[in-house]
Amino acid sequence: MKKRSKVLAVAALLGLVAGACGGDSGGAQSGEESGGRSATMDGVKDGGTLYVLTYQEGASTLDPQRVYTGAELGAWGSTFTRTLTSYKPVAGSDGTTLVADMATDLGTASDDLKTWSFTMRDGILWEDGTEVTCADIAYGVSRTFAAEVTAGEGPMYALSYLDIPEGDSDFGSAYPGPWLADADQQAIFDEAVSCDGKTITFKLKVPVADFNYTVGLLAFAPVPKAQDTADQYGLKPFSNGPFKVESYEEGKELVLVRNENWDKSTDEIREPKVDKIVWQFGLDEAVIDERMLADSGDDKNAIVYGGILPENLQTVFGDDTLKDRRTDGFDGFVSYTMFNVESVSCVEVRQAVWLALDREALRTAAGGPFTGEFAKSFVAPLLAADYEPAELVDGLNEDGTPNVEAAKAKLEEAKAKCPEVHAKATEDGLRFDHPDSDTWKKNIAIWIESLGAAGIKIVDNPIEPSKYYATINGDRGDLMRAGWAADWANASTVIPELFGEGGGFNYHNNEGDPAFAEFQAKVDEAKAETDRGAQSKLWKELNQYVIDQVWSIPGSATKAQNLVGSNVRGAYQWLPFGWYNLGGIGLAG
Amino acid sequence: METAQSVSGVEMAVGLSPFQMGLSRIRRNRGAIIAFWIVVFYVFVAAFAPVLVKLLNIDPYSLDREAINDFGLPAGPLGGVSWDHPFGVEPGTGRDILGRLMYGARISLLVGTIGTILTTTVGVTLGIVAGLRRGFIDSLISRLGDVTLAFPSLLLIIALANPMTQRLESWGIPAGNTARITYILTVLTFFGWVYMARLVRGQVLSLREREFVEAARSFGAGTGHLVFKQLLPNLWPQIIVFVSLSLPGYVALEATLSFLGVGLLAPAASWGIMLGDSVRYYRADPTYLFIPGLTLMALVLAFNMLGDGLRDAFDPRSDRQQL
Amino acid sequence: MIFFVLRRSIFGILLLLIISAFTFWIFSALPSDPAALTCGKNCRPEVIEANRERLGYDKPLIEQYGSYMKGIFTGRTYGEEGAAVHCPAPSLGYSYDRHECVTSLIASTLPVTASIALGAFVLWMAIGVGLGTLAALKRGKWQDRVATAFSVIGVSLPTFFLGLIFIMVFVIWTGILPFPRYVGLTDNPFEWFMALILPWLVLAIISAATYVRMTRNGILEVMNEEFVRLGLAKGLPRRRLIVRYVLRAALVPIVTIAGLDFAFLLGGALVTESIFNMPGLGKLTLAAVVNSDLPILVATTMVAAVFIVVANTVVDILYGYLDPRVRVK
Repeated sequence: MKKRSKVLAVAALLGLVAGACGGDSGGAQSGEESGGRSATMDGVKDGGTLYVLTYQEGASTLDPQRVYTGAELGAWGSTFTRTLTSYKPVAGSDGTTLVADMATDLGTASDDLKTWSFTMRDGILWEDGTEVTCADIAYGVSRTFAAEVTAGEGPMYALSYLDIPEGDSDFGSAYPGPWLADADQQAIFDEAVSCDGKTITFKLKVPVADFNYTVGLLAFAPVPKAQDTADQYGLKPFSNGPFKVESYEEGKELVLVRNENWDKSTDEIREPKVDKIVWQFGLDEAVIDERMLADSGDDKNAIVYGGILPENLQTVFGDDTLKDRRTDGFDGFVSYTMFNVESVSCVEVRQAVWLALDREALRTAAGGPFTGEFAKSFVAPLLAADYEPAELVDGLNEDGTPNVEAAKAKLEEAKAKCPEVHAKATEDGLRFDHPDSDTWKKNIAIWIESLGAAGIKIVDNPIEPSKYYATINGDRGDLMRAGWAADWANASTVIPELFGEGGGFNYHNNEGDPAFAEFQAKVDEAKAETDRGAQSKLWKELNQYVIDQVWSIPGSATKAQNLVGSNVRGAYQWLPFGWYNLGGIGLAG
Repeated sequence: METAQSVSGVEMAVGLSPFQMGLSRIRRNRGAIIAFWIVVFYVFVAAFAPVLVKLLNIDPYSLDREAINDFGLPAGPLGGVSWDHPFGVEPGTGRDILGRLMYGARISLLVGTIGTILTTTVGVTLGIVAGLRRGFIDSLISRLGDVTLAFPSLLLIIALANPMTQRLESWGIPAGNTARITYILTVLTFFGWVYMARLVRGQVLSLREREFVEAARSFGAGTGHLVFKQLLPNLWPQIIVFVSLSLPGYVALEATLSFLGVGLLAPAASWGIMLGDSVRYYRADPTYLFIPGLTLMALVLAFNMLGDGLRDAFDPRSDRQQL
Repeated sequence: MIFFVLRRSIFGILLLLIISAFTFWIFSALPSDPAALTCGKNCRPEVIEANRERLGYDKPLIEQYGSYMKGIFTGRTYGEEGAAVHCPAPSLGYSYDRHECVTSLIASTLPVTASIALGAFVLWMAIGVGLGTLAALKRGKWQDRVATAFSVIGVSLPTFFLGLIFIMVFVIWTGILPFPRYVGLTDNPFEWFMALILPWLVLAIISAATYVRMTRNGILEVMNEEFVRLGLAKGLPRRRLIVRYVLRAALVPIVTIAGLDFAFLLGGALVTESIFNMPGLGKLTLAAVVNSDLPILVATTMVAAVFIVVANTVVDILYGYLDPRVRVK
């Protein structure tokens, strides 16, 4: 899933408590902190209002078929949108265990893994008291096909997995979505997703070993057809969970209140404690930090969506009294820089770029070790099953500083082997497409400087953040930046998505690369492998393969830090989503 | 009144031209003189920035890893002020602030100067044409001015910044800051000519009724002669005043646009970019906000004081009322 | 007189049409493709094409403009069939980024901007006219110098710099004021007031700087007029003369200019709103710029222009009423 990148913050008010001026790190080190008491349920009472403070102007969306931000997937899933399966609501790696939510179990698959069935529990109700039916789930899934409504914002697994032939809908499918489909087209969909009483059956066009994880995505959540307001559904979705949306006003606030029609006996996962959750939008980041540090009044019952400003990390992590309120850990994302393999078709040149890059300076500019660790894999360390640090290119410095001589040596090799690409890199320059922001203004300066020392030219091409992905979809530079996290606990949502044929996030133009055929063959093998252990091994090998080819330069396995109010309990890092189990947070006192 | 010896040796009172009178008046205005030298100083620094940074050994582009700590913040107090970095360093990269300020001065003065030249040229031309021609053309130009003023200028400038810059780039103007500066100058001219034009038009209208113009006309003087020999010499004071008052406005506008992120791009060292960046670091590094901010303010203030002084000195309708 | 009003009004409407057409044209004729922005991450060329057709971006510009203007009077439906959204009149467009009718977005942000503009207006007139009058009364003395200094410095301050400094001083160092966060007037008048003090001050100080000068000079000029000299010669006390007669005469042009400035502010004090995090028209516009949300940009530009044109027309009519010479043109 995509990281919610910090868009151009136009201005920020700055808060100043009794802070020190600059100075050195003062002993604040980055490690793993799970929040101490705030992660437990120690002293929790029922009731109260939880506040969520954020600098963002609004949620990215509340529409289940459109959500693709990790934190929001977890937030909405734990409050108002249930799915067939979900994750265990606990901290740590146990939290990545799949459990049944609306379904009675984790689903039944046919031998060829192309047909999956789930049976729904009884008594699950919508917020108006009507029952959630199998047809509601089918309808929800069908919305992903409607290009004119969901517009490809959410995960597209429904399109890539369901057994629906190709056609001429905007997405290239024979089914154009529930608003445009005629009877025949709707029938095609109804074949692939069919209901029999309380049992829903999915027919897939490829074998998918972990489809029961796929249906855990909110894109497979039910939507009642009668309540669907199409493009505006994301402003007031219908709830079948313990909370429902009372009001949502962008730039102001989102208010969730308890849903009386939610029946605890049908739900093993959710344990709501508070009466109300209020998101406050458009706050200034520094102000948020100041309020959380001051911890007074209602702010004791507050959590933050958006992390802590790098400048304040010293204060937060240097103060031991905050141990029970702060978290520090990997957020499941890996940032990286993609090569346009077609235009930078020489692996020696790519290696030279990697060796010359001052990764340490980049990390410092971002805020230092708290922002993450140098990535050695495109799979995040949190995905323990499939994670293995790969062997990186020869000569790469462990501490992230550039190795200019090694880079120059590689360039010499490149000059002999692929003179045109060499000329491009040293004379014309490699065009670097990136989102425009204050941080990137500095990053690009570091890229230009450090690569320049080895003789490689970089041409800066900042793109408006909101249009970034849309732009590089059409017109790709030689280098592009990106960040990614697994959609669920399997690298099948990382390696093939980023590097494979038809991968939803593959901007590398690597299909023509000589090394691609072998790669793709192995990917297909891994996707069909039902033995999870064997599959893990394959992913690790594939990761090494990609690293050897330097189709992308791994950047950071990013970390996130957060601070909560002193009354907050149950605020643990929910690993599948990189943020809290919002619906399960409680307040003490 | 000065005196001079006539041919016959008799002392005569010799009148001073308005220009000379104005000049002597402004010499007595201490504030304006100080402001003048400040402006000269800035111009000097801007012009010789590349030389100065070499002399002082402060390169605005090179990253100084030593000067920042592990969190990306300046390592020393006051934002990293030291002998190596007299005004501190930029958080995140360690680039020298004084060097960046010097190069920023180039950009600010460049945009301000060229913008003023363009605006003045267009404004004066249209003002003279409207004043001389009267009738339909005058009407047209005035109406055009009205329409232009009816637009919410800042809003449009910001909203159109990115798309228009792309448009310019697609027309062949070098991408990046060249296109951006071209865009800024274009919109400055587009919105700024109206004030100058109105001023000039008004002056022309009153001047054309004067005797010397009638006289020149009766001698068969052409329009060219009229404009250059009769009108312009009398318009200069207004023009100078206007120039010195609009320049700071343009400098501030460029800073505001860059601050909002729609002006220049990195790694250009515009003061606006520095100020926009500094806001985040206020708590840990307030020097980074103050120094560029005061630098910008000082220049704008100096120009304004100079302009005020010029206006007091040259404008015949100045507020030296005898009551 | 009636004809004069009619003439001016018609000219105003004409002006608005020209502006709306120009605005529409300039935002539509841009290289960036509005259809591309209706699509998410998984955008494919076919989706963009389909959206372009669906939203009418492929039609000739004149037709698009026509539909847009018609929508202002009759409301407009965007999208089709089941997925359609209807925006009631006056429909200024539909923001695909925010999934909302632009008119309702503007309606919710306008009160914030109006609050800021109104308070600032009152303050800057009070400060500007007050200080300017003082300067005129005490011409040449230290009060005059201080006022002039204030004027020059105020004009030189960039808005964002002053705003940041005020926050530092009043909110952070001294804690006199709370962090600015807008609260509706009807929700909590006290907090509404407290939150707006800083934006008012910032705008007022910078605007007042100009008005101090204008008032001072205006008063001094009127002082030169015949009727004033007559009054003085007759022995009227100077102060009374200035305050009761001169001020009134001098204020007419000043108030009209202030009215125009106020109208300009209604279009959104962009920088102030962003610094103080006030969710007004200005902030809406800035967010729209960042998100390339063209429908919002077109609408806010037009709304701002409407304010300016209306104010201009009203001023023209007022002047025509006050000064008959103006009518005969």
